[in-house]
Amino acid sequence: MTVARPRPHPHPAAPDRPTADVFWTIRRREILGKTITYLLLTIAVLLILFPIYWMVITSFKLPREIFRVPSLWPQVFTWNNYKILLEQKDFLIPMRNSLIVASTVTVTSLLVSSLAAYSIVRFRYPGRTLVGRLILFAYLTPTSLLFIPLSILMARLQLGNSIFGLVVVYLTFSIPLGTWLLQGYFRAVPRELEEQGMIDGLSRLGALFRIVLPLSAPGLAAVAIFTFTGAWNELLLALVLVTSESQRTAPLALNYLITSDVLPWGPLMAGAVISSFPLMVLYFVAQRFMVTDLTAGSVKG
Amino acid sequence: MTTRYRLTRRALLAGTAAGVGLGLARPGIAQPAALRGTTLTYWGGLIFSDAANKLLVDTINRWGQANGVRTDVVMINQNETVQKVSAAVASNTMPDAFDLNLDLLIVLARQNLFAPVDDLYEKIGRAQGGWLPAIDGATTTARGPEGRAGVPFGASGNMLLRRDDVLAKAGFANPPTTWQELVTQAAAVNKPPLFGLGLALSNVGDGNVQVSALQSFGGRIADDTGRTVAIKSEATREYLRWVKDAWDRKIFPPGVSTWDGAGDNNSYLAGQSAFIANTGSVGIAAKTQDPELFAGTKYSSLPGGPKGVVSPLTIQYRAIPKASKNVAGARELIEHLSQPAFMNAYFENAIYGPVLADQPKLKAFDGSSAILSGLLDLARRGTAPGAPDVYNVAYADAWNNFVIPKMVQRVVIDNWDFDRAMDDAQRSTQAIYDKYR
Repeated sequence: MTVARPRPHPHPAAPDRPTADVFWTIRRREILGKTITYLLLTIAVLLILFPIYWMVITSFKLPREIFRVPSLWPQVFTWNNYKILLEQKDFLIPMRNSLIVASTVTVTSLLVSSLAAYSIVRFRYPGRTLVGRLILFAYLTPTSLLFIPLSILMARLQLGNSIFGLVVVYLTFSIPLGTWLLQGYFRAVPRELEEQGMIDGLSRLGALFRIVLPLSAPGLAAVAIFTFTGAWNELLLALVLVTSESQRTAPLALNYLITSDVLPWGPLMAGAVISSFPLMVLYFVAQRFMVTDLTAGSVKG
Repeated sequence: MTTRYRLTRRALLAGTAAGVGLGLARPGIAQPAALRGTTLTYWGGLIFSDAANKLLVDTINRWGQANGVRTDVVMINQNETVQKVSAAVASNTMPDAFDLNLDLLIVLARQNLFAPVDDLYEKIGRAQGGWLPAIDGATTTARGPEGRAGVPFGASGNMLLRRDDVLAKAGFANPPTTWQELVTQAAAVNKPPLFGLGLALSNVGDGNVQVSALQSFGGRIADDTGRTVAIKSEATREYLRWVKDAWDRKIFPPGVSTWDGAGDNNSYLAGQSAFIANTGSVGIAAKTQDPELFAGTKYSSLPGGPKGVVSPLTIQYRAIPKASKNVAGARELIEHLSQPAFMNAYFENAIYGPVLADQPKLKAFDGSSAILSGLLDLARRGTAPGAPDVYNVAYADAWNNFVIPKMVQRVVIDNWDFDRAMDDAQRSTQAIYDKYR
């Protein structure tokens, strides 16, 4: 918050009662403003963090306590929910699968989307605008409409029930998103910089990789985060396309903890804690890029 | 499959017993050489009991080894069977055999997706004293164009779970036998945070207990032709009066009109409801998670109304898709899985009641388990699915559209008068039935 500070009095030796009053009034307003700001921020932080806190403490509670005593702190701390998850349910296997799927989708999407977005932004060819729009429509098509056609396609390609098949399917969503997002970032890079590079001997690909992509790093970070998060959290397609236990991703394995109509909250929350950890790390590392990106966008208009 | 399961003492004993039993029975089982070298994919229904799931997987794999069949057993979460099967039908990747419930069986059988199993059904029935009447009736109703579409292996349904520890102190030693008595008992122990009546009134399967209540008051979804909806009636009005009275007494826990499928379970395990209607999964959960609650819980059949008790069975089937590449192997396997030794061990761990007349004599149903005794009672006294209504595809569709819970919501939440709520339900349900004319 920017509040105009009181100017120094031109004659400090001469006491000026009204000016002092104005100073204290402004000072009080400043303190009040800060207090309200911090209060609102604290409430916002509590609202955001409380579900995470609840998830974590529930993962350390005994089943009876989870249902019977909705307390803010476990009466008895237990690691049993994590033991069930890791020892009986082999949760590290779906975690590994999720990491493979999400990482592969992210890297591939970044590569393909960069090339696609660069092509749409920099080259002139018939249908370029239409392709750009169709890409967006592809991304906006609801997953629930596509799961049956995709399962037919995967079966024909002999890619059903495998994490490689999941990677291919997720790319059909992440590449359009990445391409659409990166178009905006690439347009913001002055064409003259590339031309200058090419005059200095860079090829077209060289200009892309050595000039455009480094200058679009925040955009790449944003695409990477959205893509990784999307692939990491996706459930519906994994549910339909993956059958074998050894191929399940983390959300699918968590979903399989719920059998019949009884919810094992302890192991579910333990699984939620473990599976949200990679995302938390990713966001923590990439938040600098994201913030830079948002700021950059605001000044570029 | 690379699954690792926790081997409990009970599961070990059950598995050993089943293995020994099946080993002894093996000389009597035909082992066609034609099956050798074939592959068989089986989708088992993943249920709440890990021990029962493991038993099924192990038994199928052992059968495969004994017959030279490569088996691939995948346990499918029953909550997601519809999505998995829909995608598999569309992409022609159906397994060679799989578990499913009657609701899905009747829909898929109508599309002629299953290999007929009449001879297998009759053979298994003959060997074990015949099929229980309600099971036989439902299976015949669900036949496809070419014959019966599945072989039943377990029956379940809703039982009334009650907090006997609380009710006994209030002077209610016996379970309520009528819906009115249920409200009386529930109101007597209704002291929030413990509420009397944890019955779902929401758009989930549990909410359809209200259909049973409606039918026991004499109400019907449709007439005897199974084509014309008959919700609006004096009997339905009586039922609505009952449910409105219970609502006005404030004996329902908060949120019953929006509960999800686990709402009643969570409420009971949280000590928030004195009564719930449940298949028994809550009982099994309480056994390990809250032994005190388990000890204080008793089970009985659903209460009755002026027209008696309506307690529909939910039947589980094993079926063979027409697209199966190993129909012969699937038939052999289904017959193998119907043997008493395996089924006894399975019943001991699962939450299913018997389907064959000889199965109540199995050790599992000797009365030592309150839940299994309740399921046995349900299998014997339970009503056929849909009864007294005609159980057809339109009924199944109306059931899955929760037409009765929605009607109740109009009355208790939106404060519609009974006539308006009945007219609305009548109209929307007739639209569903008209789709299948």
